[in-house]
Amino acid sequence: MVFLLRRFGFYVAAFICAATFNFLIPRLMPGNPIDTMFAQSGTALPPESLEALKKTFGFLDVPLPIQYLHYLASVFTWDLGLSVKFYPLTVNQVLVRALPWTLLLVLTSSFAAFAIGSLAGARAAWRRGGSFDSFGAPAALMLQAIPPLVTSLLALYLFAISLKWLPTGFAWDPMLDLTWSWESVWSVLYHAILPVVTMAMAQIGGYLVTMRNSMINLLGEDYITLGMAKGLTDRRLRLVYAAYNALLPALTSFAMSLGAVFGGSLVTEVVFNYPGLGYTLYQGITSRDYPLIQGQLLIMTLAMLSANFIADLLYIIVDPRLRRA
Amino acid sequence: MTSNRKAVAGLAIVGIFIVVALLAPIIAPSGPNQRVAKPHEPPSAEHVLGSTRMGRDVLAQTIHGTRTSLLVGFVAGLVVTVVGVAVGVTSGYFGGRIDELLNLVTNVVLVIPNLPLMLVLAAFVGEAGPMTIAVIIGMTAWGWGARVTRAQTLSLRQRDYILASEMLGEPAWRIILVELLPNLVSIIGFNFIGSVLYALITEATLEFLGLGDPLALSWGTNLYHAQETSALRVGAWWEIAAPCLALVVFGSSLSLINFAVDEIANPRLRTLRVPKRILAAIMPVGAAE
Repeated sequence: MVFLLRRFGFYVAAFICAATFNFLIPRLMPGNPIDTMFAQSGTALPPESLEALKKTFGFLDVPLPIQYLHYLASVFTWDLGLSVKFYPLTVNQVLVRALPWTLLLVLTSSFAAFAIGSLAGARAAWRRGGSFDSFGAPAALMLQAIPPLVTSLLALYLFAISLKWLPTGFAWDPMLDLTWSWESVWSVLYHAILPVVTMAMAQIGGYLVTMRNSMINLLGEDYITLGMAKGLTDRRLRLVYAAYNALLPALTSFAMSLGAVFGGSLVTEVVFNYPGLGYTLYQGITSRDYPLIQGQLLIMTLAMLSANFIADLLYIIVDPRLRRA
Repeated sequence: MTSNRKAVAGLAIVGIFIVVALLAPIIAPSGPNQRVAKPHEPPSAEHVLGSTRMGRDVLAQTIHGTRTSLLVGFVAGLVVTVVGVAVGVTSGYFGGRIDELLNLVTNVVLVIPNLPLMLVLAAFVGEAGPMTIAVIIGMTAWGWGARVTRAQTLSLRQRDYILASEMLGEPAWRIILVELLPNLVSIIGFNFIGSVLYALITEATLEFLGLGDPLALSWGTNLYHAQETSALRVGAWWEIAAPCLALVVFGSSLSLINFAVDEIANPRLRTLRVPKRILAAIMPVGAAE
């Protein structure tokens, strides 16, 4: 319990840090921060909205520390200001509209990659130096060196543009009204195949190598030898005795890599015109919509922190030693 | 290191890329920005990798782009490594309050997602030049290196030879530079190569998303221009393929080197090259194939 509370306190501090970056970065840049930040807003927003926007970001006629408190207050009441690009929508509304699509991509691809990568890693470690290991481990490493940008572009060209097997973009068929019908669900899944597979490809290698290395270190332990001596089946020894205990480092890398996965999803979504956070952000970048760009840092930090917190909970389940701490 | 085939292959490819970058004006003398062909010409004997929408030679653009991409990769990798090692060693060696503070900062840096933070920074800088991008990457990505270096320093710190140096009254800077750092070389090298790879990919990503200086010439901006002119949708795959291939080949060779470093530093991970019969004899039942 104390462990969880400490972690939670840390996450709040980290979130405040992210908000502080948002507050400081425009003010540290050369030139007038208000001008930079709202240069694009002048024509797009009516004057009263601009005033509200300035207030949200703490651009008031008060000393800097008070401005900072004003900004923190806005952030903690989750008032992220108005989007310039998507006016009259607030940043909040824009992000909430896009978030489910990104979550769909990130969660599906991460879990698939985690399962496949860890199982393959366990197998490679079990028969170290065997054909699967000597092919699988270097291949996984190569795969990891390929940027998501490249895999996405390649997949787009190959399967969507040349072969025309899969759609070139969007999250569902635009001719369709999105409802909870079979047709809609099928359309959503069909459009998610390419983004999810390309994102999973980028992650499998990392899990494979982590799992392989952590399991190789475990296989030298006495209890594994004892298990062999007892005559346990290979399968039981490999999965229940070794793999389960080797999972802890894999879990850490799962939580740690989630930030990178969110980053990767930014790119994948832009390539596939997929209406998640990344694509929305891309639209924000091209029109220099600073409130939107700042808002996505906060929402992605929040997503990352939640993932870490879930990983903490999982640790407690996997590693009983932490329950006493 | 020379006995490791992975290391040799990786180093060779990286070397070739560096030579290409240095000799770019000699290998592709016509310059990357000259219109030498019709728009979107497919690969031919004259233009081996085809031409862009603007009629520029894709091969020349890729060769010249190598310079910026490699430079940003190595500079950012260097910044990441230096900051990471400095923070990690200070934290691990001095311990106490300093360690607590630096460890907290490291954990915060690790938990705030990098790419979104870099996007905010780059967006405010506006059309960030390659060196600015290198600095931005360097400042945001050092967390992992710091954590690994700290862990290793903590374990080295308890060794007898360090304690002996302290007893002798050696100053802290000398212990760190002469006694500690040489024993951290494999971790620092691993960190550096990984950081170069990360920086290379991240630079390309930032530029592809339109946050870089569009006049700079690198693999990332080449991809950006290709995407802007819908190269893929009109079938001009070569314009995308060239920078992608360069990224992949260079990235994989870095990966190979790192794999080799890992094997050299951690012999347990080494794949044994022992005949299967002998392996079966020395390994417990079931473990050998």
